[in-house]
This record gives sequence, structure tokens and C-alpha cells, in this order.
Amino acid sequence: MTNTTSNQANNGRAWIALLLAGAFEIVYALSVAGSEAFTVLSWSISAIVFFLLTLYALSVALKTIDVGIGYAVWAGIGAVGSAVFGSVLFEQSLTLGQAFWLAVIIAGVIWLKLASSEKLQADESGLTAS
Amino acid sequence: MISWLYLGVAVLFEIAVAFSAGNAQGFTRLWWTIATLVSGAIATFFLSLALLEFDVGVGYSIWTSVAGVGIVILGAVFFQERLNLRKLSGIAMVIGGVIGLRLSGAA
Repeated sequence: MTNTTSNQANNGRAWIALLLAGAFEIVYALSVAGSEAFTVLSWSISAIVFFLLTLYALSVALKTIDVGIGYAVWAGIGAVGSAVFGSVLFEQSLTLGQAFWLAVIIAGVIWLKLASSEKLQADESGLTAS
Repeated sequence: MISWLYLGVAVLFEIAVAFSAGNAQGFTRLWWTIATLVSGAIATFFLSLALLEFDVGVGYSIWTSVAGVGIVILGAVFFQERLNLRKLSGIAMVIGGVIGLRLSGAA
């Protein structure tokens, strides 16, 4: 019983770490763009700091969460977030056609990561009960 | 056109990041951790060159997604991971999307 409770607490913490990793990745992408090929000091430092924060948060999250599912969520947050906030922050407005193809790419990579999930494949073949 | 080349180099090193981070086992193995950081720095630098031209959302998404495709393909070629219909359809979506973006004039 206590075991189940602590597993759930671990799981909750892992998902918070994963969402944080996604948010850090957005800031990383925006910082890399803002650094203008690492010629702007403040954005360059921010890029390095958030690269390390992302790596750390992701490694914490993936200790508990299945790698395929974790990467799918993380990549999705990073890609959608950098497109949305990038267009606001740097006034880079996408055309309708570009937004469409971008959505296809992001859906494709999420789908690809989910298809690589050992947990989901095991669930489907009925090998695990969870 | 040169920005697509930068993005390509950034993709190769991002694949190296994923491979090294996977082997670093929670960053407890020193050399794999160093490999992760070095490839991450190179990937980031080439991404920043590409983003001089690309919109950040477009450049970033192509970068991370094509690296994802590369990881799956390398896994199939070198580590005998199965390529099923789902993975192939995800790969097709990413490649189709990149071609669509190229044709719709994203850098």
C-alpha cells in the first residue's frame, strides 16, 4: 500500500520534471535563436544554462517515465512552444502553408517516438498488466 | 541554402547527443557524459547558425524531428531495432513535412 503511494508520488514528480524539461527546451530554442550565432552574450549564456537544465530534468524524468512516451511529450512541447513563442517574441509569423507543414512534422515526430515506446508495445501485446 | 547545410550538421550532432546521453546512464559515466556535452555544444552552435536564416519554430522543429528520424533509422541498421509500419509512417510524415516546408519557402 505504502509502496503504491510512493510509486505514485515518484510518478508525479517525474511528470513534473518532464514538463519542466519541455519548458526549459523552449527557452533553450529561443535563446539559441536570440544569440544570433552566439554573438549576443546574454542569450548565449541563457542557451547554455537551459541546455544543461533540460538535460538534467529529462534524465530525472526518464528514470521513471518510459523513454518513448517521455521523448514524445518533451519533443512535442519543445517544437510547438518554440513555434508559438518564437512567432510572438521575434515577430516571425508563419504563413498558413508553413504552419500546416510544421504541424505535420511535429505530429510525425510525436508519432515516431510513441511508436518506439517499449511500454506501449508491451501493453498492446498484453504482456504487462499496468 | 547554406542554412540547410548548417541544420544538417546540427542534426548529426544531435543524434550523437541522444546516443551519448543514452549511454551515460543518468550521467554517471564520465566519458559518455563528456561526449554528450561536447556533441550538444557543437549541435547547438550549428543550430544557431541555421537560425540566423530559419524562423526559430521552423528550424528547431526540423532539427529535432529529423534527428529523431535518424535515431530510429540508426537503431534499425546498427542495433537491430524493428522498423514497423508505425515508425515508417512517422518517418514519412517528418520527411514529407520537411519537403513541404522547403517548398513553401521556409528559408
